[in-house]
Amino acid sequence: MISCQTFRNTLQPGTTDPSVLEHLRACEACLDFAIERDPDLFFRAMGGQELLPPGGVDSFVEEVMTQVRSRQTETAAQPQRIGNVWQRFAVAATLAAGITGAAFVAQHDRAVSSMASASYARPTHRTSKPVALVTKPIIESYESQNYTIVEVPSDASSDTKVVMIFDDQLPADL
Amino acid sequence: MPAELRLMIPTNEPVESDDRLLVEQIRGGDEGAFEQLVRRKTSKVYALCYRVIGNAEDAKDVSQLVFLKLWENLDKYDPSYAFDTWLYRLVTNVGIDFLRNRKSRENAVNSNLRLVKTSTDAEQTVSVQRKEIELVFQQVASTLSPKQKTVFVMAEMEDLRSSEIAKILGCRESTVRNHLFNARKLMQQQLKLRFPEYAKLWKEAR
Repeated sequence: MISCQTFRNTLQPGTTDPSVLEHLRACEACLDFAIERDPDLFFRAMGGQELLPPGGVDSFVEEVMTQVRSRQTETAAQPQRIGNVWQRFAVAATLAAGITGAAFVAQHDRAVSSMASASYARPTHRTSKPVALVTKPIIESYESQNYTIVEVPSDASSDTKVVMIFDDQLPADL
Repeated sequence: MPAELRLMIPTNEPVESDDRLLVEQIRGGDEGAFEQLVRRKTSKVYALCYRVIGNAEDAKDVSQLVFLKLWENLDKYDPSYAFDTWLYRLVTNVGIDFLRNRKSRENAVNSNLRLVKTSTDAEQTVSVQRKEIELVFQQVASTLSPKQKTVFVMAEMEDLRSSEIAKILGCRESTVRNHLFNARKLMQQQLKLRFPEYAKLWKEAR
C-alpha cells in the first residue's frame, strides 16, 4: 500500500487509481483529507475491505454445502417419486377400469333380469288375476280369448261399480 | 430457464483459469471443488449482497441462495465468458429480486438506524468515521431503486467499470451511466436532507 505522503500528493478528484483507492479505504488518517479534497470519495471509502458473513466463512460454506447435499438428495429421490407416481397412476387406472367393468356388467345383468322378469311376469299375472281381487267380491266376470272383465263393488254406498279390464291387446298407457 | 442465465455477453477478458478448472471439476461431479469455489467467492458475493441489501443476516441468506443457484445452473455457464461476470449477474439478479420483495423489512431496518450525527452551527469541520459512512449509506441509499443501488455499489465500492456493469446487468453502458448519474444525484439530495453536516462537504468543495 502506498504511503500517506504519496497518497496525499497523488490524490486527484475523480480518481480511479487502484492504489489510491486502496489507501483511501484502509487509512483512517487520510479519510478526512480525501473527502475534503473530493467529496465524491465519501461513499467510495466504503469499498475494498473484506466483508465476511456473520458466523464466518467456514460456517457459511458448511451451510451452503448442507443445502446443496439436501438438494442433491431431493434430486436423487425425484426419479423414484416419478416411478411412484406412475405406479399410483397404474393402480388408479386399474381400479377405474375394474369399477367401470363391474358397473357395465351389473347394468347388463340388471337389463337381462328385467327383461326376463318382464317376460316371466305375464303368465304370473294371469294366474294371479283372481288373487289380486280377493279383497273385493267379484260381482261379475267376463272372459274372452284376449281380455278379462271383472266387476267389483265400490266402497261408497252409491251404485258406482269398478270395472277392471285385463286386455293383452290394449296399449300399456291406456 | 431464467433470462439472466440465457443472455451472456461475450468478453475478451481472461477467465480466471482456476475458476474455470473448478467449474470443470464441479461439472464432473466433484463436490469438493464446489466447496472450494464457494470458499473462494464467499467474501466477494457477500460484500456485494451486503452493500446492496444493507443487512448482514439478509445478505447472508441471499448469498447462500446465490450459491445454490450457482450449483443448480452451473451447467448453463459458458466457460468462454468471465466467470465473475456470470457470478455477479447471478448476485445482482437475486439481490434485486430480494430488494423488490422487501419493502416492509427495509423499513424496519431503516428504523433501527440512528442519525449518525446531529448538525450544529458551531461545527466548522466534519470528521468522518468509516463506520458512520456505512450507516449513512444504508439510510440514504434506501431511496434508490434496486437497480440504481446495485449500479452505485458496483461502480463506487466494487470499482467495476461501466462496461463491466453493463455486461453483468445485460444492458447498455449508457444505461449504466444514467443509473449512476441519477443515483449520485439522489444520494446527494438525501444526504443534504438527512445529514446536512455531510452535505456541507460538497458545498465547501465547490
